[in-house]
Amino acid sequence: MTVILHEDHALPVVAVNLAYKVGSRFEGPRRTGFAHLFEHLMFMGTRRAPTKAFDEWMEGAGGWNNADTSEDHTEFFDVGPPTSLPLLLWLEADRLSDLGPMMTEEKLDAQREVVRNERRQTSENQPYGKVELMLPELLFPEGHPYHHPVIGSHEDLEAATVSDVKAFFAEWYDPANASLVVAGDFDPKEATATIGRYFGQISSHGAPVDPWDAARAPAGTTLREVVRKTITDRVELPKVIMAWQSPKHFASGDAELDLLASVLTSGKASRLYKSLVYDKKLAQSVEAEQGSGDIASRFVVGVIARPGVALDKLEAAIDAELASIRSKPVTDEELVRAKNGVSTGFVARLQSVKARASLLNAYELDVGDPGFAQKDLDRYTGATRAGLQAVAAKVLDPNARVVLRVVPDSHKGAL
Amino acid sequence: MSLPRVLALGFLAMAACAEPQTPAKVAESVPRPAPLPAPPPDPLGPKPEAHLPAPYAPPVPDVFVTKGGLTVWLVERHALPYVAMTVSIPTGSSSDPKGKAGLAFETADMLDEGAGGRGSIELSRAVDALGASLVTAATVDASTASLSVLKKNLVPAFTLLSDVVARPRFDPAEWKRAHELELNDLVERAADPEEVERLVTRAVLFGLDHPYAHPVDGTTTSAKSIVLEDVRKFYLSAWRPDRAILVVVGDATKAEVTALVDQNLGAWKSPTAAPPAPVAPEAFRGPWPRLVLVDRPEAPQSVISLARPGLAASDPREPVLARANLALGGLFTSRLNQDLREQRGYTYGAGSRVAHTRGVGSFVSYASVFTEKTADAVQALVADVAEYAKTGPTNEETDKTRLQTRGDLVEKFEAYDRAAEHLAIEAALGLPADHERTAALAADEATKEALSKLASDCMDPSRAVVIVVGPAAKIEGPLRALGYGEIEIRDTDGSVVKGKRAL
Repeated sequence: MTVILHEDHALPVVAVNLAYKVGSRFEGPRRTGFAHLFEHLMFMGTRRAPTKAFDEWMEGAGGWNNADTSEDHTEFFDVGPPTSLPLLLWLEADRLSDLGPMMTEEKLDAQREVVRNERRQTSENQPYGKVELMLPELLFPEGHPYHHPVIGSHEDLEAATVSDVKAFFAEWYDPANASLVVAGDFDPKEATATIGRYFGQISSHGAPVDPWDAARAPAGTTLREVVRKTITDRVELPKVIMAWQSPKHFASGDAELDLLASVLTSGKASRLYKSLVYDKKLAQSVEAEQGSGDIASRFVVGVIARPGVALDKLEAAIDAELASIRSKPVTDEELVRAKNGVSTGFVARLQSVKARASLLNAYELDVGDPGFAQKDLDRYTGATRAGLQAVAAKVLDPNARVVLRVVPDSHKGAL
Repeated sequence: MSLPRVLALGFLAMAACAEPQTPAKVAESVPRPAPLPAPPPDPLGPKPEAHLPAPYAPPVPDVFVTKGGLTVWLVERHALPYVAMTVSIPTGSSSDPKGKAGLAFETADMLDEGAGGRGSIELSRAVDALGASLVTAATVDASTASLSVLKKNLVPAFTLLSDVVARPRFDPAEWKRAHELELNDLVERAADPEEVERLVTRAVLFGLDHPYAHPVDGTTTSAKSIVLEDVRKFYLSAWRPDRAILVVVGDATKAEVTALVDQNLGAWKSPTAAPPAPVAPEAFRGPWPRLVLVDRPEAPQSVISLARPGLAASDPREPVLARANLALGGLFTSRLNQDLREQRGYTYGAGSRVAHTRGVGSFVSYASVFTEKTADAVQALVADVAEYAKTGPTNEETDKTRLQTRGDLVEKFEAYDRAAEHLAIEAALGLPADHERTAALAADEATKEALSKLASDCMDPSRAVVIVVGPAAKIEGPLRALGYGEIEIRDTDGSVVKGKRAL
């Protein structure tokens, strides 16, 4: 297990971040949503810390916790007063020691319901929330690890068994597949000894093999045409989403696409805002994002239409702006604005101990270097106008993308 | 059904913990075929004790008044080359004139649509060129303009913030566009069930014409009646240096801030007319209990809430109520979350919140629940709140909430931007600069009896209203059976559609 310590006594608070190299792309067939369901099950108790004790003991000591599952990783974090650190570490070591063998049908059923309610609350009952359920399968081909959403399907969540849980724990929840950060107000010497005592006794099978064979990964996008789909939702205004497969995190072009997203939609002077919202008054709002992943990324543009605007017209207006960004370099001024926004963001995200712990672990997992922040920033400061144009021309292909429309369902305005 | 299961598991495990030396018990509870004569020592060792942390005193801002009469609250932090600033005035949506709900919000919205020598686009471009972020906003009690930026760009960024608060242009063409976007946002809002729950809860809790009853961003009807002249007048009466406070948190000194204010806001003058008095409304009283339903056809979940008046932020009991609330609905292990999420499986999360407002605000318990379990969830939520109001916290909850209040306080002041916004609202509520320290002390010293008294005084659900946003066709029958009398139906703006409460 990799251990990263970051000492900072500015405030009396300490954060623990324990990340595992497993996420939704590691799930087996007909088990979508399992990695995230498993994250929930990590709180369901062990021999030493029975069901509910993990949270009760931690919150009783003045701490709190949460966890997050993505396509690539699962991170667990705990925040508490300095006096709680041994307890936080003990609780993390305990569940990594023997959570799996202690799994029961009751624990699984309880969290299955919680997760299905999470799906309802964060996707099904949210305006435009179904986009995230739909986009992965439209964008990535059958069999691709990113073909399904992290939350999974109700059907697969229902199908998960206790033996699935035990096997998943045995395979992925291994110290050799984990990275631990302690950050904030603590003594590194003491913490090192405590970590050694608690985590050193856990046996390891060695690092598991990532099922994704990078060598066999397709070079560019697997999309060969425009994939169109229209869905209905409980919304008042229609929305158009355009999505492309794009270079993976830290690959050439990834930082440029972050900057392009900013040029397109950050601030009123951005390309899409100025043109569609401010000048032509076709759109209510615009958004763009390079969603970077370990094996591929996605570049997504989303535009909500103003009432009465035909979606064909809206799409044509978006396309005109994208064509312009492919055919001509952005201006110096646009590039400077985008870069300065990124630079400020790099500092702003260092404000909390919890965020710093998470950042150190993210770099460790992504590039094997927790101190990668400056090199990461250099990717952005070194980007050029020509570089942005080249990436836009290569990635934002109008003939190889997903175009998803969300239109109001028949209940619009119903009461 | 799930209640006995968890109790049994907890009981068995606790017995094993309490008597780890009893071989018979260990052999029983560990499913191994060949029991060992004595259990091997646990390699992890026993659960470590967490000692009590040292007390934490939140920072008290350095308060000073500049030459031009602007009051500044400064918290210096030099760990990061970053500065967060918020200007607040003590006027928010509770000062909206009758029929113009949304005016404070739209006024704040117009501040950055062109200011000083720059039009709307030029201003946005200038902010982005400095890598800064600028946000204007309104709450029920206050209006704010916030800017955060790297230290190296503080000087030019401060000029932009000053233009926004002191020299907004209110250009008619920009108004027409911004106002149209705002009206469309209100149309969109109707599709968000959680936003609808919040605004309907306020409308029902405070009742017609109460200053806190309408949504901060207005209703689809009221916002239509707002014209640019309303915005100009509202700005001139409310946004003035003798009522404003500038909060600065981060890498800046008193001398730097003083120079920036003198240079950029020296010409900002207050009008001679008396400023509008801050609104501090009384609580609305009933009728309750009753149940209000907003239809959301075929929704897979219902958003439910239970609301009643809370306390004013200046009430010395408010920090104690906030602490008492943690055990009921402010933590993962809070009663509501444990019951509705972990035990019953109705929801992804349940909680409760105490509003921090100048007048008597709200105390609201809430959850988004699986549609089929809507009525059961309302019943469980009300029962949990009633039980807590009756008994108050346990000894464990008393200890836990003390430590949790301390932790919240540390994190409240951790991020510069969050701290600046928090202090700016405190200032607008009329609270002194050291309020957080006084409040922390009051919360820390509260006994179990004091917490119980607050739970009893402020949480009793027999003096509360229930709001449900969900599919009426599916849930109205089961909700009717809960015994709240005739169900009142409201629309997504909070207005009564039909039906009256049976007396």
